[in-house]
Amino acid sequence: MSLLAISDVSKRFGGVNALAGVTFAVEQGDVLGIIGPNGAGKTTLLNCISGLYRPDAGDIRWETASIRGLAPYRIARLGIGRTFQIVRPFPSMTVRENTVMGALFGRPGARLQPGAALKEADTVLDVVGLGEKRNYPVLRLTVPDRKRLEVARALAMRPRLLLLDEVMAGLNQVEIEQALEMVRRVRDSGVTIVLIEHVMKVIVGVCSRALVLNFGRTLVEGPPSEVLKDPRVIEAYLGQRYARDQQPPPYPPPEAGEGND
Amino acid sequence: MSVRRAALAVVGLALAFLVLAPLTSIDAAQQAGLPLLTDKLWFRIATTVAMFVVMASAWNIIGGLTGYASFGNVAFFGLGAYTAGVVVSNLRLPFALALVLAPIVAAAFALIVGIPLLRLRGHYFAVATLGVGVAVGEVVNNIEPLGAATGLFLPIVRSDLFFFYLMLGAAILAVLTTWVILRTRFGYGLLAIRENEEAAAVIGVNTTFYKVAAFCIAAALTGIAGAIFAQWNSFINQDNAFAISDNVQMILMAVIGGTGTVLGPVAGAISLELIIQSLAGGGSGSVFSQIGLGVLLAVCVIFIPRGVIDFFGGRSRLSLRYFRQTLRETSA
Repeated sequence: MSLLAISDVSKRFGGVNALAGVTFAVEQGDVLGIIGPNGAGKTTLLNCISGLYRPDAGDIRWETASIRGLAPYRIARLGIGRTFQIVRPFPSMTVRENTVMGALFGRPGARLQPGAALKEADTVLDVVGLGEKRNYPVLRLTVPDRKRLEVARALAMRPRLLLLDEVMAGLNQVEIEQALEMVRRVRDSGVTIVLIEHVMKVIVGVCSRALVLNFGRTLVEGPPSEVLKDPRVIEAYLGQRYARDQQPPPYPPPEAGEGND
Repeated sequence: MSVRRAALAVVGLALAFLVLAPLTSIDAAQQAGLPLLTDKLWFRIATTVAMFVVMASAWNIIGGLTGYASFGNVAFFGLGAYTAGVVVSNLRLPFALALVLAPIVAAAFALIVGIPLLRLRGHYFAVATLGVGVAVGEVVNNIEPLGAATGLFLPIVRSDLFFFYLMLGAAILAVLTTWVILRTRFGYGLLAIRENEEAAAVIGVNTTFYKVAAFCIAAALTGIAGAIFAQWNSFINQDNAFAISDNVQMILMAVIGGTGTVLGPVAGAISLELIIQSLAGGGSGSVFSQIGLGVLLAVCVIFIPRGVIDFFGGRSRLSLRYFRQTLRETSA
């Protein structure tokens, strides 16, 4: 039994098929990387899993039960945490207050007392490397720190599955190394991870499997290094002509630009 | 813990009330030579101030804590008033029953309109609630048993002190409710919704339930104020029970005082109502008072968007730096 099973999920916005029958499964302990050109449907997929969108067709199963169409807060309390590509902190709160929210509301099972929630928040802030900035107002944080905060808030929910939407975009090389280290720590603590990323170094560096989305469909799925060499993937990113002209294919394919929602 | 502190605060306020109550009786005031409380006009103003403390505090729960600027709260006031009117005037039942029923009716109405309307955000929510506020008034205005356009008369009860204390009690209830909410998990949930609703949803906040609950609490408190107003004024019609200007006024009070805080709406209600009363007068005076209020609001929103409570509170001071900082932080 898979932890999360997506079967034939479709989502349409007007005339655009953002997702056109995506199928894959996430096993306990996986770090699954989802890549794909801009507009491939990656963020839409995360929104369907976390309940912000209701898929038009297909099913999403969490262990044994279908979670398709459940309210986001129910999905969150099942143990699915997520971050947003365009960060969504609670702007008038401090770093610590933001993180406490995850512990207060997102925990499956018994509610935490405020004291315990604060302790949990502090633990998580140390994991993501924001421990020293816990009393900063969010507005004082840099972009990389705001991305860390997104992760901290999700981690404070003690999720079993963590969905990371481009937490490394816009980071420099040093920051990417730090973020990679953070993802590994999270993985080693027993959290299954699905991450969307354009930074290929991340896909190769931390993912156990990679999945390529293109035009709302699964293009290729498999071990990261093989997936990145696949001619179909290079074609999807760089176009047919480039794929034909370049023999052997360049590795890794150059990064695509910033994704957008 | 926080529950004990809340209980202590309630006991403290009750004790303060018991100590101060004899002093505020008319006889005692006369003996002590305090002109303030012996003057009928002042009683009226003080009761009105308390009424607006209730309304501004209640509005603050949905508009300030949850971030849903309701322009329809006056409908809850009107429904509370008309509930009292029906109970006391049509059914000839005691006023105490009206005080119990009014918040229930208002909250039930908030539940019914809140579930669809709270799916809207920002301006859409504001306009939709404005429509509800106007519509309910118009409907009531056309129902014969409710007095239609004539309005509804309640038996007159002559006791300035009684209504002042009743309204004061409602004001304390509204402030305490806000205070308690801000110290519970429920309050954190509301703040999270205000700050970023989707982020709140994906960390496990049941946003729909929280929003509707906040709307219902605001409605119940506003309904109580309406019921007291009906008996106090002993006459209600569309104009005084469903006045959109009251709705605008409660928003102004909450915004000027400081939304999202416990005491902001109180400070706003007291200061603004006193300003309105002192500016009020016949003829051109009222025109200038309207202009003055508009200017005041514009100045407050631009320069002290967090309200006078924040402005005069601990961490801020009268300086250009404060204005620049709040401008920067709130215009993002």
